[in-house]
Amino acid sequence: MEPFIEIITQPDNIAIVIMIFMVSFFMVWAFQQAFQNDRLLAAGLPVEGENDKFVDTFKPLVRIELIIAVVVMVGLTVWSIAVDAPLEEIANPTITPNPAKAPWYFLGLQELLVYFDPWLAGVVLPSLIVVGLLAIPYIDINPKGNGYYTFSERKYAIMIFSFGFFVLWLLLIVIGVFFRGPGWLWYWPWQEWDHARVVFEPTKDLTAVIGIDSRSLPGFIIGAFLVGSYLVGGMIAPYRYWKKNNPELLAKLGMVRYVTIMFLFITMMSIPIKMVLRLVFLIKYIWITPWFNV
Amino acid sequence: MKSLPEITDKVKKNLIWKSIFRRDYRNTVRDKAQAVFGNVFLHLHPVQVRESAVKLRFTWGMGGITFFAFILLVITGVVLMFYYHPSIDQAYTDIKDLEFQVPFGVILRNLHRWGAHFMVIVVMIHMFRVFMTGSYKAPRQFNWGIGVFLLVLTFLLSFTGYLTPWDQLGFWAITVGTNMGAATPLLGYQGPFSEYLHITPYNDIRFALLGGAQVGGNALLRSYIWHCVAIPLISIILMFVHFWRVRKDGGISKPQK
Amino acid sequence: MANENKNNSSYRVYLFVFFSALLLALSLWVVWDDEFGLRPWKKYQEEFKTLKHDQLEKDYRKAVVEFQRSGGHARLADLEAQLAKAESAFQSKATQEKFKQLTSQFDTLHEQLVLNQKELQNARGLFLESEYYFTKTQKQEYKARMDELQRQIDAIVLRGAALQKKEDSLKSSLSELTAGKERIAAEIERMQGGLEDLKEKIANNKKVPVEIKQIHIKDIDKADRCQTCHIGIDGKRPVSALQPFARHPASFIYLDHHDPAKFGCTFCHRGQGRATTSVEKAHGTVKHWDEPLLAGDMTQTSCLNCHGDLKGLRGAEEIVNSTELLKKYGCYSCHKIPGYETVGDVGPVLTEVGSKVNYSWAVKWLLDPKLYFSTARMPKFFFTQDQAESIADYLFSMSGTTRHDVDYSKQTPDAKLVEQGKALWSQARCNLCHTTGGRGGNHVKVYAPDLSKVGSKVNKEWLFRWIKNPNAYFPGTKMPRFRFTDEDIKSLVEYITSEYKDEEAELKYVQPVEIQVASIKKGKDLVQKYGCYGCHKLQGMEEMVQIAPSLKRQGVSFLRGDEMREKIGTELSSIGSKPLEMLDFGKLKKSIPNDRLSYIKQKLRDPRGYRLGLRMPDFRLSESEINELSAVLYGFTDSNVPARFMVPSRQELDRMAGVQTYKFTGDFAKVIADVKCTNCHSIRGIGADYAPDLSYAGSKLQEGWIRSFLANPDVIRPLLQQMPKLGLTSGKPLAKITMPRFNLGQQKVEDTNRTDVDAVINFFQQELVSNDIPKKIPGITTLTMPEQITKGKSIYDEKGCKACHQIGTEGGALGPNLSNVGNRLNPGFIFKHLENARKFKPDIVEPDYGFTERERIYLTNFLMTLKLNKK
Repeated sequence: MEPFIEIITQPDNIAIVIMIFMVSFFMVWAFQQAFQNDRLLAAGLPVEGENDKFVDTFKPLVRIELIIAVVVMVGLTVWSIAVDAPLEEIANPTITPNPAKAPWYFLGLQELLVYFDPWLAGVVLPSLIVVGLLAIPYIDINPKGNGYYTFSERKYAIMIFSFGFFVLWLLLIVIGVFFRGPGWLWYWPWQEWDHARVVFEPTKDLTAVIGIDSRSLPGFIIGAFLVGSYLVGGMIAPYRYWKKNNPELLAKLGMVRYVTIMFLFITMMSIPIKMVLRLVFLIKYIWITPWFNV
Repeated sequence: MKSLPEITDKVKKNLIWKSIFRRDYRNTVRDKAQAVFGNVFLHLHPVQVRESAVKLRFTWGMGGITFFAFILLVITGVVLMFYYHPSIDQAYTDIKDLEFQVPFGVILRNLHRWGAHFMVIVVMIHMFRVFMTGSYKAPRQFNWGIGVFLLVLTFLLSFTGYLTPWDQLGFWAITVGTNMGAATPLLGYQGPFSEYLHITPYNDIRFALLGGAQVGGNALLRSYIWHCVAIPLISIILMFVHFWRVRKDGGISKPQK
Repeated sequence: MANENKNNSSYRVYLFVFFSALLLALSLWVVWDDEFGLRPWKKYQEEFKTLKHDQLEKDYRKAVVEFQRSGGHARLADLEAQLAKAESAFQSKATQEKFKQLTSQFDTLHEQLVLNQKELQNARGLFLESEYYFTKTQKQEYKARMDELQRQIDAIVLRGAALQKKEDSLKSSLSELTAGKERIAAEIERMQGGLEDLKEKIANNKKVPVEIKQIHIKDIDKADRCQTCHIGIDGKRPVSALQPFARHPASFIYLDHHDPAKFGCTFCHRGQGRATTSVEKAHGTVKHWDEPLLAGDMTQTSCLNCHGDLKGLRGAEEIVNSTELLKKYGCYSCHKIPGYETVGDVGPVLTEVGSKVNYSWAVKWLLDPKLYFSTARMPKFFFTQDQAESIADYLFSMSGTTRHDVDYSKQTPDAKLVEQGKALWSQARCNLCHTTGGRGGNHVKVYAPDLSKVGSKVNKEWLFRWIKNPNAYFPGTKMPRFRFTDEDIKSLVEYITSEYKDEEAELKYVQPVEIQVASIKKGKDLVQKYGCYGCHKLQGMEEMVQIAPSLKRQGVSFLRGDEMREKIGTELSSIGSKPLEMLDFGKLKKSIPNDRLSYIKQKLRDPRGYRLGLRMPDFRLSESEINELSAVLYGFTDSNVPARFMVPSRQELDRMAGVQTYKFTGDFAKVIADVKCTNCHSIRGIGADYAPDLSYAGSKLQEGWIRSFLANPDVIRPLLQQMPKLGLTSGKPLAKITMPRFNLGQQKVEDTNRTDVDAVINFFQQELVSNDIPKKIPGITTLTMPEQITKGKSIYDEKGCKACHQIGTEGGALGPNLSNVGNRLNPGFIFKHLENARKFKPDIVEPDYGFTERERIYLTNFLMTLKLNKK
């Protein structure tokens, strides 16, 4: 436990501990309110705030704003008195700390480097995150759940977003901060960091598992086929399914929206898929091309 | 001796008091409205708001807290700028001297650092709240987009500030961060297809970010300017839009069925 | 219109008030912390001021007491009475009248003088104006006007002079009136002055501001704020012996030569010079600061930063000792250390070791050298019996094919030879360097093996060859070639092998056994792996070095030296500033402090302790040796000292000046290579400081004396070696030693007709002379020689020379015995030496008496009469 205490009491990591508590608290609060409203909706009652009256801004709102400002200020002052901002040795390009970690809010992306090449993990995926976030209002055409907490009325939207936000963003940050040690190796909190530790995981490319050199032409073709079929199949299968069971939905979405949603969703899901392949099946690449590897 | 009401009365009749507050506040509808739109800070708000907006449980106050953190960071940051030179010879000792010599240097730097972390956390929770209440839905789609950009800018603000102390922590965090830039397809020298554009470490996107092939004096200056001037300016402009749109899109979202 | 929930709103008000109050309290705490919590030095400075105040106060009180004791009060009262009298005399009517009259006269006169001056200025101005017009117009009227004005000016000047004279005389008559009382007032002032000064000092001390004090070295932006707490560090007078108020110890050496204003503190002491908020931070004993404070003797490691030559450097004695230790153990053999690249091998050549030692001995030695004798220098490699035998097999295979021992314990030694050998042993003073079971070995700076068991180690044939010419077996050995005859050597060998035996030695291979080929291969691999060739020359491995790790992966494990320049061990050239991240604490990360010095010490204490697979052998150093060695290693840094502070070594200076490094030439070089004079003596910067410096021996010593001394060395400085060097070092005193008898003069130098003594004397007289030392001393014609000698003798007695020097049986023993100085030294040298003893020997203790030239001549002439007659 001692190493763990050492890690969480590092000044910068205290921020992450605070983040864990704050996020968990607000997550619980959000879902609690969502379920509460769901019960009201199920009973045919108005949701919270639906029959709102108006109140004066001055003073009720101003007062609450002031209180929050003072509370935040108190919190930050206490934090600043209790913990000094870190200042390590002067920058020295010749000494690379091990592990060299990015700022904590980018550690999720750094963690992705284990599973993807940098151009994907560091550039393409973050860009797609931004694009995806920007696209949310335009691809979510569900008119319900506007202006109140609810889960039942927008299950899929909330589940997908929560998976992305809590698992792929926050959980990976926590892993990057607390569970990654020298050589970006996995360390449990009770394990001592050992700079000389070497873990050799005999990773293979996917096609090599079935006995075909991934750098050969057949390997290339098979890899391309697999990646392509994931993308194309991921597009077509839900389309087929909805066409059969819920054609109105498809019609409402329209082709452009459908393709955008599915592309973003497929890309997002490729992250856990690749993680499982890498961690469980020790597979490094699926498709190797002369320019990039996937 | 005069009684307290007498004194207050006298103060309120004072010329200076009158020049500042113009009129007495009498808890009438008119005066309540006047208090809001007569004040440059408060007039962002409408005169009356819905009950939910006043309750903590709906908004959690996250947007306001983010803005408050931003103001705090601007204030502490400006004071810190007085004591800081963005050069690799001086940056580190300047930060050291904040602790050892500058009056209130320790608390100043701590507030700035922790305030920055706090703002990143809070801005993420703000986004989560807006999503959970579906507040990005019509008519607020555009403002959600602005919010996404503000989120990215918050990350970048914190990221560029990381290098300024010029210590090992910042140096390597920035090195790791910008090395990802080197992998940009087409534009980074390690990225796919870059060879077709004759991209080298000396003309790629990373070079543009750092002002050199390595993190060095130029990178420090660049990150300083991005951190202290460019990104705050852009953020402030986007914040104006963000706040303005909150009002124009109908204030805090309310249940629409 | 909404109505406010009253309950709700009032609880919010309380909340607001509560948190506002909390914020206010926190703000107050922040202010307090910033004023006091983060400024601990304020307390120190206040305390220092109090201490200083107390000291000054005490001084003042003492001065007052002294003043009273010496009757100051009475005198003061007397003076005051006088003053009052003078004052009343001055106030008397007649005097006052006169004074007033004179004053009014003076005032009128002064007014006139001022007017006159104004007139003069006027006239000059007009003159200049006319001159201007004249030069412009060349009209005569202006010329005339100029002349006219010039006349006026002259007149005014004359008048002024007369007035001035009058005024002066008035002034002096005025001062005559007041002189008496002014003189008394001055006297009172002077008497009270000392006390007033002290009072003022006390007042000034109170006014000293409490503030951060820093030394800023501009060009490298170094700011040392150490004096903020160590406020009295460079004070003239200590106010306290306790830190942080104490004065710098031995500041006449350290601070006087390193002006704190120019050097700051942290160049020598390290630590975090800028830090002011806590002792730990300032001393750099915190995380993320790699340079913890150096204190005490340890600080001397910093001398290595700038000083190229440490030998003879005052205040660097500890680090010089440590450097000797590094040389003794030959750390440079396996580690790259700058400045030691050219130092010779530590261990003997092993190529023919099979013809030298017993196989059984070799195995035992390899297992653990300290089993053979406790002061063995070779480290323990933790070989197994099997490994040790393989290595011995490999070594023996180079000069033979068998494992073999010789056993002399069964033979009866030749008693007569042994007797002769024993006499020779003590005559030649073998024990000076070699110990035998704890006896001897006074020359601690030369490592020589203990010989108490040597009879069970080597064979007689080898020992004979060795004593006859050590260089032939081991070029570079420190062992001198004594000028023994073969007969002498034979007796010495007989004596050594019969006297010094290991009773417990098990000699298993008296009947030789063939060596297995497989074992040789294994032994060779071990020799390569552990780098025996670092210290020992080995046939076929002369230039062998271990290759860098990158090549090892490609299957290459050893390269020739010309292919690769890497030593087997880690490079140590900057170990003292190596970042902590680069030091692998391995298993011990939790159990020892994670700082550089602890790392070095632990490495020396237990070289293979950090993790498995390390190869460094165990030298079994004592704790004090570990401290010394780590001190010198800690001084090898990537120094960040500006070039202007560097003090290059003499060699470097020579090189920069294009001067060849001093080398011995001719026959003398051959003698030196043989007799190894520089083991003890220093000549022109080469050699050890164990015996007198011979750099100017030609000017200093008389030929006859050199000859007789070399033939039969005697003690010159009986006590000098025990002399405490003014308490600056804490090394143990050295025992009395004399020079070994090398039997010089009996043999000719190789390829020549001269004896070695002739070669020595020739070189002394040709080379080792100084132009500063005259051949003869100036003569004095006014006094006869006997008179001069008598005068010299009386100076000798007056100045108390005999407190240290001995003549006959009288006098002290600190300085050299002077009984025979007339035969030993040249008069020119004595003459010059008396003028400035430090010129040729900077650390000499002899005081400077400031003799005049005449006195020096008398003394020299006297000293030259001190001669012992040869028997």
